[in-house]
Amino acid sequence: MITGHFKTDYSADEGIWSIWPKRWGLVAALIALAVFPFMASNYALLLAGQIGIFIVAVVGLNVLIGYTGLMSLGHGAFFAVGAYTTVAIHHEWPLTFPLITLVISTVVAAAFGVLFGLPSLRVKGLYLAVATLSANFIILFLIEQDWLAEWTGGVRGTETPNAVFFGYELVSQQAKYFFIMPVMVIMLLFAQNLFRTRFGRALIAIRDKDYSAEILGIALFSHKLKSFAISAAYCGAAGSLWAYFFPAILPEDFGLNMSITLVVCLVAGGMGRTLGPIFGTILILLVPELLKVVAGYVTGGDATAQTWVSPVRDILFGLMIIGFLIFEPMGLVNIWDRFWRFLSRWPFAK
Amino acid sequence: MGQFIQYMINGVISGSLLALIALGIVAVFKATKVVNFAHGHLILFGAYFYFTFSVVLPEAAFMPGWVSSWEPAWLLAYAGDAPMFSPRAAIASWVSDLPRILLGLVGALAANAVLALIIERLVMRPLLGQSAFAMILSTVGLIWVLEGSAGLIWTAEAEQVPALGPNFPIRFQLFDQNLFLFSGSLVNLLVALLLFATLMLVLRYTRSGVAIRATAEDQSTAYAMGINVPKVFSTAWLVASTTGAVAGAILASRNGLSPAIGLFGLSVLAVVLMGGLDSFAGVLIASMLVGILSSMAQWKLGGGVAEIVPYVAVLVVILIRPHGFMGQEEIERI
Repeated sequence: MITGHFKTDYSADEGIWSIWPKRWGLVAALIALAVFPFMASNYALLLAGQIGIFIVAVVGLNVLIGYTGLMSLGHGAFFAVGAYTTVAIHHEWPLTFPLITLVISTVVAAAFGVLFGLPSLRVKGLYLAVATLSANFIILFLIEQDWLAEWTGGVRGTETPNAVFFGYELVSQQAKYFFIMPVMVIMLLFAQNLFRTRFGRALIAIRDKDYSAEILGIALFSHKLKSFAISAAYCGAAGSLWAYFFPAILPEDFGLNMSITLVVCLVAGGMGRTLGPIFGTILILLVPELLKVVAGYVTGGDATAQTWVSPVRDILFGLMIIGFLIFEPMGLVNIWDRFWRFLSRWPFAK
Repeated sequence: MGQFIQYMINGVISGSLLALIALGIVAVFKATKVVNFAHGHLILFGAYFYFTFSVVLPEAAFMPGWVSSWEPAWLLAYAGDAPMFSPRAAIASWVSDLPRILLGLVGALAANAVLALIIERLVMRPLLGQSAFAMILSTVGLIWVLEGSAGLIWTAEAEQVPALGPNFPIRFQLFDQNLFLFSGSLVNLLVALLLFATLMLVLRYTRSGVAIRATAEDQSTAYAMGINVPKVFSTAWLVASTTGAVAGAILASRNGLSPAIGLFGLSVLAVVLMGGLDSFAGVLIASMLVGILSSMAQWKLGGGVAEIVPYVAVLVVILIRPHGFMGQEEIERI
């Protein structure tokens, strides 16, 4: 029975993988990630790749919403910036090494993040949400313009390149999976580590009460801007992966729908925790697939009945948001915590 | 100059419509401190209800024939052989549509009111006392629920609905320029401004208006003073849904009925923030400004730019005045 985690020095307290379930859980998860592509079908790999990309983006959003307490409804725009930067780079220099493209896309998205983080000092909460939402519409509008169409493809979207590593083109889902997952794991570890640093703790202080944080000597503006930059960078990286993963992209892929889906993944999973985005993204992206299976089973593959699948999916999606907010506002990660707490204290207390 | 005035008029007309929509968002925010992201979809439902009661229902087998098309002898005599697009023909066809327009409006108002009460009771009430973030997100969730339900109930085709007023072109001269506008737009303008003014008067002079203002000022004090705050909340939602139903009917008759109406509500949200969330006057100013700016942008820069005008405008305004034109500044305690 675990009665508590006894730590004898500071370094143990700061450790991320402080207790054995976490250590072995990480190892098990990594092994599962590595083995999965050899056992899964192409369709499952497609879903897994999509989930991996979204996890990167939602973890980034978590830095902003969950840790810094700044609301954003416009992160789809940074996703778009990342994706279109990748496309544009490959348009100019077709054989760029994918990791270089990834880094450049990330940096460009971070720059846009700083730009759209500028209102964050003046406005907070809802006003910031609408400011970022406006930014999302404006960036998509720019992408659709004719004078950028050579690089972005304009309204009609554009085909995207495949990643080429030393002459080996990543075409199959399996190969793409092995490109996405390491990036995802590294970015997850980075996010987890970020909040052990002075900078990360400063962000948390800003979330809890920004004026108090300022009085304690934290420069609000620069920290908020950096937080914006980091979260935008994550979304930019996700966008770059997205461009490599899918054969084509459209501006409307990155609209309000995506921005809100990102926020919803975060809320469903639980804010201010690294596990939250993982759980939330898996749940939110898998439910529509589950619904498809159920609908196929109920209707027996009847084509006319398929017309109501999409509205029902929308309704279910909305109900999930509302349901989580009413019944489990801390997200899935809270259920997970309760479960482990229950196990560790069983049979003495609930 | 003539062109300028022409687009100015168009801008004022669309601005009044923005104001009518914004009214609902402000009313709900003032009373409940919730910013309703789903207001556009409430309007969408209003539009669909209007369609149901004014187009689908009158054509049902059990309805008497005069509902769908009322043609008493004197009306036929009045219409006579008036040429198409003449005021006389337009008024005659409007009068013959009148029964179903009225049925549509009454039905849409009632149905939307019921819908709003259900939303308020099932979604917003359980979230009382939660953070603003949770409230906002739950209205975002509502967007999907409403959109999906609308898709299930009504097929997502663009449909035509009867306009609220007789529709004929009015031509006149100003500064030696030929200008023209549709009388239907004029009726819409009047309806919107009338509703806006009525609501302002109601808020100022009636008991429930005072209750709403008191709740806006301070919820717990209002509660302590014997104001039924939950009832104020439902009243606010009722106001939003009924004005929304009228706005939906107008939008549907102007641009045709389609799910895009829901998205229109989001740009109105930008307008509301620009004016200041809790100020009717500020929102009226912002609506007019955005309406005129959009129509100018349409004239000089094309339709694509006009769509993002509200968003650019709100960004600029928020950067200069973080609480909009006339919004009350929040006082934070540390």
